[in-house]
Amino acid sequence: MKSRYEAAKNVFIDSVDIDDYIELNSAVAAYKQLEHSMNKPLKMILLFGRPGTGKSILLNRITEKLKHQKEIHYFDTPAIDEKEFFHKLFKVLTKKNLPKNTEVNFSALVDFCKNLRGKREIIILLDEAQMYGPEMMEKIRLISDTRVVKFIVSLHKTDDEDLIAKEHFQSRIWEVIELKNATKDDQTSYIHKKLLKKNLFEIANSIKDKDMKLIHAFTKGNFRECNKLIFTIFEICEYYDKNEPSKIKYDQISKRIIEMAALKLGYINV
Amino acid sequence: MYDIKPLEEEWKRYKKKKMKPWYVLMVLFLLLSSTTLFFLNYKDLILAKLANIDNNVSVSLDKPRQITVLVDKSLTALEVKKEIIKKEINNNKLKIKTEASSAIDDPMKYHHPNAKKVSISITEPVKKVVKVEKPRKKMHLNIIKTTSASAYKDVEKRFSDTSDVDDSLFLARTYFDKGNNKKAIYWAVQTNKINSDIEESWLIFAGAKARSGHKNEAIRILSSYVKRSNSYEAKALLKRLKK
Repeated sequence: MKSRYEAAKNVFIDSVDIDDYIELNSAVAAYKQLEHSMNKPLKMILLFGRPGTGKSILLNRITEKLKHQKEIHYFDTPAIDEKEFFHKLFKVLTKKNLPKNTEVNFSALVDFCKNLRGKREIIILLDEAQMYGPEMMEKIRLISDTRVVKFIVSLHKTDDEDLIAKEHFQSRIWEVIELKNATKDDQTSYIHKKLLKKNLFEIANSIKDKDMKLIHAFTKGNFRECNKLIFTIFEICEYYDKNEPSKIKYDQISKRIIEMAALKLGYINV
Repeated sequence: MYDIKPLEEEWKRYKKKKMKPWYVLMVLFLLLSSTTLFFLNYKDLILAKLANIDNNVSVSLDKPRQITVLVDKSLTALEVKKEIIKKEINNNKLKIKTEASSAIDDPMKYHHPNAKKVSISITEPVKKVVKVEKPRKKMHLNIIKTTSASAYKDVEKRFSDTSDVDDSLFLARTYFDKGNNKKAIYWAVQTNKINSDIEESWLIFAGAKARSGHKNEAIRILSSYVKRSNSYEAKALLKRLKK
């Protein structure tokens, strides 16, 4: 027999699927800010935030929403090297594949862009941009100087990278949008909305406010961590439901199960 | 699917670790509570012990203890078990007589009902060891009598530590008998502050007030006490004062 928790567990499999996008107050604000910045004559926009704050899903969503209005391209995975990056860029600019055994001449690419000024406005969303080296970033800046290609650079904000990112981009980026970790209320509505989207009302109702508080404390408002924790919680619930139903209450998630999940994921230690 | 058993065991260990500080706090709280209760139950004994340590007098609950009291005629108020160990009388005998007749000379003086005529001959420095039994605590005390002036200070100091009305009343009585009205009033008031039902403190206060020229005040205070207590002694003194 299929456990009721199986469906709930699968809701929290981490993905950047646009269909799973949950519209939260903070996300709506960030979306509007990004959309507004894209309409300004800016060359580069920095989207900044700790891992799991929803940068990728925001870029994904904006691509989906604006792809019919603007010439917008989402580079979700960073190119392994410069060559691969310019191949991708060449394809975007020329709408043609680069012939085999040929390489992109950077100066020629810049000149090509200059010729497009006033004719086209291309927006390129670069996810995980911390993976690009400083030299590459300089070339990206030079391309953006042509005012034909606008780059939205998404960066992880970690303690080490925070300084690097700021120093590197301060003089070049015209606008910085920072995504922050979710508040407890935001995270609560995220979890509820996700479950309700799949008609799992009873399970959504079984997660009480005090549980949300505990979940927020463990995950610090990080959506990715939240997905992991809730997935694990439902996985444990699923086990009990199938094997030891006496150990589970269906109208609430016990603190013991949340703590067991937190132990499993290493948020707490013995 | 997880192997849930190790995870459950891990959670039990985590819970134990998490609860540890609470257990420690609970034990500390219980210890503190029991210590407080013990102290409250034996407060008198502990304070008495501490007070005696301060006065450099060794006290033992099992053995008789020694304290210093003044030899004075008012000592007759204390219920002294007359097991007086007589000491040899040397030269320069100093005779201290507690005579109620002296009070007859003084019309303001009241007479303590328990006052007995005692005549003690002692040397100077006079030291006599008597055994005193406190009825309530059933402790056997060895009291060394002394007439030295510093002993009054000792009693005053002891009173400041213990607030024992026996001490303050003793001082009031002694100073009153000596004619030191100011100090008698002071110690009568101290006694009254602690226990306002001690008749003697009222009588000393009124007597000392009258002797120091505040007769009306003495009558007023005594009248209010008579109203309250209907004391025979107070009435007698009031009658004498009004004459």
